[in-house]
Amino acid sequence: MLVVVVLVAAACSTGPIADADIPDPSNWDEVVARARGQTVNLFMWGGSSQINRFVDTVYAPLLEDDFDITLNRVPVADTVDAINTILAELQGGRGRGGSVDLVWVNGENFLTLRQADALLTDWATSIPNARLVDWDSPEVNQDFGLAVNGAESPWGSAQFQFVYDGARTTVEELPHSYVELRNWVEAHPGRFTYPAPPDFHGTRFIKQAFYEVTGGVESWLLGFDETAYDAAAVELWSYLTGIEPFLWRGGTTYPQSLAELNRLFANGEVDFTFTQLPAGIGANIASGVLPATAKPFVFDTGSIGDSHYLAIPNNAAHPHGAMVVANLVLDPELQAAKFDPANGWGDGLAISLSRLEATEQSSIAKVTAGLSDLAVPPDRLQATRLPEVSAEYTIALERDWDFYVRQN
Amino acid sequence: MSARTEDTTRAEPIFRGEPGVWWRLAPALLIVIPLFVVAVGLAVLQSVGIFGVTGSSDPSLAAYRSLLGSAEFWRSLSFSAYLATVATTLSLIIGVAAALTFRRFFSRSRVWSFLLQMNLAIPHLVGALAMLLVLGQSGLLSRGATAVGLTHGTSGFPAFVFDSRGLAIIAEYVWKEAPFFAVVALAILGTVATDYDSVAATLGAGRPQRFRYVTLPLLLPALVPAAVVVFAFSFGTFEVPLLLGGSFPEALPVLAYRRFVNVDLAARPEAMAAGVIIIIVGLAAAVAYQRLARRLEGRR
Repeated sequence: MLVVVVLVAAACSTGPIADADIPDPSNWDEVVARARGQTVNLFMWGGSSQINRFVDTVYAPLLEDDFDITLNRVPVADTVDAINTILAELQGGRGRGGSVDLVWVNGENFLTLRQADALLTDWATSIPNARLVDWDSPEVNQDFGLAVNGAESPWGSAQFQFVYDGARTTVEELPHSYVELRNWVEAHPGRFTYPAPPDFHGTRFIKQAFYEVTGGVESWLLGFDETAYDAAAVELWSYLTGIEPFLWRGGTTYPQSLAELNRLFANGEVDFTFTQLPAGIGANIASGVLPATAKPFVFDTGSIGDSHYLAIPNNAAHPHGAMVVANLVLDPELQAAKFDPANGWGDGLAISLSRLEATEQSSIAKVTAGLSDLAVPPDRLQATRLPEVSAEYTIALERDWDFYVRQN
Repeated sequence: MSARTEDTTRAEPIFRGEPGVWWRLAPALLIVIPLFVVAVGLAVLQSVGIFGVTGSSDPSLAAYRSLLGSAEFWRSLSFSAYLATVATTLSLIIGVAAALTFRRFFSRSRVWSFLLQMNLAIPHLVGALAMLLVLGQSGLLSRGATAVGLTHGTSGFPAFVFDSRGLAIIAEYVWKEAPFFAVVALAILGTVATDYDSVAATLGAGRPQRFRYVTLPLLLPALVPAAVVVFAFSFGTFEVPLLLGGSFPEALPVLAYRRFVNVDLAARPEAMAAGVIIIIVGLAAAVAYQRLARRLEGRR
């Protein structure tokens, strides 16, 4: 059987992508020309029907009409599924003609792809619309503490927020820190839970708690320090196991995703859920995922913000088309459309206002002016914004949560 | 399934000395070898650290050691074994009882026959979602119970879904597999068993005697392999416990999956090791069946 395996592996092995086939963004006309007629397979988290619809109805027709590119959105339950597809293909010797052309990533998944050396690098800073991106800012040029090196191009930004239902909870009752949250949870047994890490939002929730109970993010900004982490994280596990008996179902189980938590929230089983959308939850309310009386808020002790990106695997079958897509999504009008909750998303900007011409700013300014109380005011988000720390912390927190909290 | 029993026990004489047999098997082998043998082979290789993503390729049993050394693994293994055993036993009893009842009262009714076999065609995934919608705390039953005043709100309804006893998982398996056993049993009951049953009846055997000495011995050779299949399936299936299971304990296939999708690439060999162990359990069940089948065959 070993023989068969080796033979098959050898048979489907092909060399890595030839230099001539790597798109050169400095020769953009050629990239666009070679992208014509390509079908770009965009692998992305598919858990939000509004985001899916936005991609299908805003980008896809534009790409079709202006660039003769067919955008094929491939939904995955978790980005790591797309990562596994890429890695499995590379492992199987498929060095080119891979099924993933473009993948929506950040943080630990980006780290995994970089570790496996699975991405095209040095392109994101040279595509035409990169001029609109503030590549000098660590919020863009570092992804969870890891240098981006032009291996991914920003698509948008997000910030972690809590959501409550104004019909059930008054503003005065809201907790404004993890300490206050513990008091609230103890006073309202069974009315709070969070998605089990490694769900993105669950990890965010515990990471933010980690910052607060260990005295602030400052100690964790200088790369991964395992000894310090192990010593300090004890506080976090005692916090989380301390509130566990007062959680939904007594903490014996946790929702597996934000979608599940949203359902519990909408059904009135719990009183809080989360959102990552800087422009607010208007789109979620319009689609019926959240009740009309839901409102977002952030803790005084801070909320984690980050950028999310598009990356091209180095075995992509259609890297030229993929690059055109990554460039197109940075267009100011399209960034404004994505920012506007009325279009179904409400995602944060990937481009920097200061880099736009006055004429290019108007659409975004209009959306900002129109944000209702379904969004946390931009200056409040800015004031409470906390950075991400290196992805090793994410990995350690997820691993240890599993051990200390889930298996507890 | 009943046909399979006959085949496996008598296949060898037919097989031997037939020159064209490999050609005729070729289409099946063409599918089985690449998809199954190669996949299992790759899983084994990755579980011992060869073909890793990160490049280190010294073969070692480290993944097995760390897996077998973790309490979590043993908890998952016993949880999966518990789920599979309870589900198989319940399905077997309910399925056979349904088949006997069906033969006695409804054997000519097309409607009942349809109802009995209907969910064989429904995928487990759909079944699992149905369980979620019916048994969940904000599901149909829960809302009904609240409406008629049995419970107060969703949290008052007992936790069948996402619970540590896997009640909804077992319910889904039984819902799907009991009809399978019933169909297997009916295939025997409808043909051979009827004649023997009549003979025994004319000789004065009562209903319990006929079941004990006629029907059951005829059914067992078909039901045992069916039970092995159901056990191995419910031990190794992934989507049902993923959808209906709680955070802890988790079924072994879910544990394997979660290791596989772990951001830490080092966890991948453990995922493969868990997968290999699931295969070993399935094979062990098949071997146990072969031995049992031979004994049953000898007794007949």
